[in-house]
Amino acid sequence: MKIPVLLDRKKTKAASSGGQVRVLDGVPMLAACVAIAAALYIFGLTGVLSSNIQRYLLKIFLYCTLSSMWNLMSGYTGMTSLGQQTYIGLAGYSLTVMTATYAMSYWVGFLVGAVISTIVSLILAIILFRMRGMYFAVATWVVAEALRTFFTSWKFVKKGAGMTVAARPYPSTSTIYIIALTLCIIALAVVYFLLKSRVGLGLTAMRDDPDAASSVGVDIFKSKLLVYVVSAIFTALAGGIFYLNKGSIYPAGGFGISWTVSMVFIVIIGGIGTMGGPVLGSILYVIFEEQLAKLPGGWTNIVLGLIAILVILFLPDGILGTLQKKLRFEILSQKRFSGE
Amino acid sequence: MTVVIQMLINGILLGSVYALLGVGMSMIFGIVRLTNLAHGEFIIIGAYGSTLLSLALGVDPILTLVITVPVMFIAGVLIQTVLINRVMLQGSEPALLVTFGLSIILKDALLLLFTADARHANVPYSTATIRLPAGLHIAVLDLVVFAISLATILILTLFLRYTYMGRAIRATSDDTAAASLMGVSVRRTYGIAMGIAMATAAVAGLGVGMRWTFYPSSGGDYLLIAFGVVVIGGMGSIPGTLVAGLIFGLAQVIGGANYGMLISYLLLILMLAVRPQGLFSK
Repeated sequence: MKIPVLLDRKKTKAASSGGQVRVLDGVPMLAACVAIAAALYIFGLTGVLSSNIQRYLLKIFLYCTLSSMWNLMSGYTGMTSLGQQTYIGLAGYSLTVMTATYAMSYWVGFLVGAVISTIVSLILAIILFRMRGMYFAVATWVVAEALRTFFTSWKFVKKGAGMTVAARPYPSTSTIYIIALTLCIIALAVVYFLLKSRVGLGLTAMRDDPDAASSVGVDIFKSKLLVYVVSAIFTALAGGIFYLNKGSIYPAGGFGISWTVSMVFIVIIGGIGTMGGPVLGSILYVIFEEQLAKLPGGWTNIVLGLIAILVILFLPDGILGTLQKKLRFEILSQKRFSGE
Repeated sequence: MTVVIQMLINGILLGSVYALLGVGMSMIFGIVRLTNLAHGEFIIIGAYGSTLLSLALGVDPILTLVITVPVMFIAGVLIQTVLINRVMLQGSEPALLVTFGLSIILKDALLLLFTADARHANVPYSTATIRLPAGLHIAVLDLVVFAISLATILILTLFLRYTYMGRAIRATSDDTAAASLMGVSVRRTYGIAMGIAMATAAVAGLGVGMRWTFYPSSGGDYLLIAFGVVVIGGMGSIPGTLVAGLIFGLAQVIGGANYGMLISYLLLILMLAVRPQGLFSK
């Protein structure tokens, strides 16, 4: 079967742009990132922000974590998954079962969620890595659907009726805000350093041409496995924190395809295969979501879907990707330039 | 023994609908080389079309095909030529994501238009059964849907085999470049292929509406069945689609209401892992 090479167009464009690309990187950029992170911590700890704004921001942090991981898989490694909700559901249920059924702390819930997701992702990798392209995409979705069906008829998790998180004492919004912010910073740092490393170079080479990459010694299986498992762990942690904030879970929500809808939307409007894309996309997504919720019922997904299709048609590199190409700069590029 | 034969009969009747759900998706997969994630919503649109038209006009739902099939054919041609052909220039992944976008738009548009109420296409013979010897029985409704499914798949096979357009479609599927050199317009062929896929979705929607109740959100379930049929049968293979539909139907009947879907999904994952090219792949 022929699978058209996705990145042909991107490659030729990058080659033709020729001139110098300014990379916003190094000490000034690092300082800016640290300053923003510090400000967000201080705002959170001092209680300057109202709990409503904290709720928006913590949503942005979680979506940013989720979509950065999806971007790492799809944008940099060529594994387009439609089934990351597998790990969100598993983590959400780990949290509720640990806190409600076994009366443990929510930290134990996060840990169990991460461990289960690691194990599941290792097992699934063996099956999923036999497939490429659309087979991989739909197989990941089928796995999530199978789990949804299973949880809907599993008595231990109260079947389709769902469960309630019972952390005692229940953490305040500011506590969840700090946890989400920390996770988001770690996730972005992991993505950045992973892409900067030898592994990252191998990954992009593999995305652009798997056969050529493997012929010059990139261990495709190991690199893909690393990315897949890392994404699973961070997706699970973000899912756990999300459900700690939400308070209850049911199978159709936890394992629902709408998680993937959000991740895809965020990465596409931000810019697939860019570091900053998911950050920008998450901010826009949460704003859109809040604004669209004010519309009379049910327009949210219609508008989001339309925006996504229009962006794919007219700005195939997303907002940040297009800006970066037009103005010839890159934020935190994983590329290595001759000067380095 | 009777129980086993009854299960087999039910499985075959169910399998024919599953094959019909998958046949349009299989065509798009095989010819346009696109995973159409909106196929489930197309089927549900067909179901609403037949159900509402038969209510409004007071006719048997089967007669509404005269309207829904041509309308959905044209809609399919338009979607392919206006939208999907354009993104396909960018590669297979953006096209996949566009169909994903279409799917979520259509799902919520259906919800806005028709509310979340369950719908069902009513027919006078909905509870009639035919009694066979040895305590076996067949629901008339299931038999009618079975006949519609087989007829649709047969017509499609004959069309692909004996008409000029059918040959052009098969040629494009086998070797796009060679077909295009022989004067086949690839973009137009893709448009027609999507039109045909949507027309089969209209018929599949009728089957869904007659056999089951459906909601605006039911598309995802049928998409996964369709995808399963495509994967197990091998893309673009009509006999494969029939056999795969049958396998899925039997899995569903054996697993029952609780585990039918789970067994089908596990079967599908196993199949993807062991033989991703399908049972009947060329």
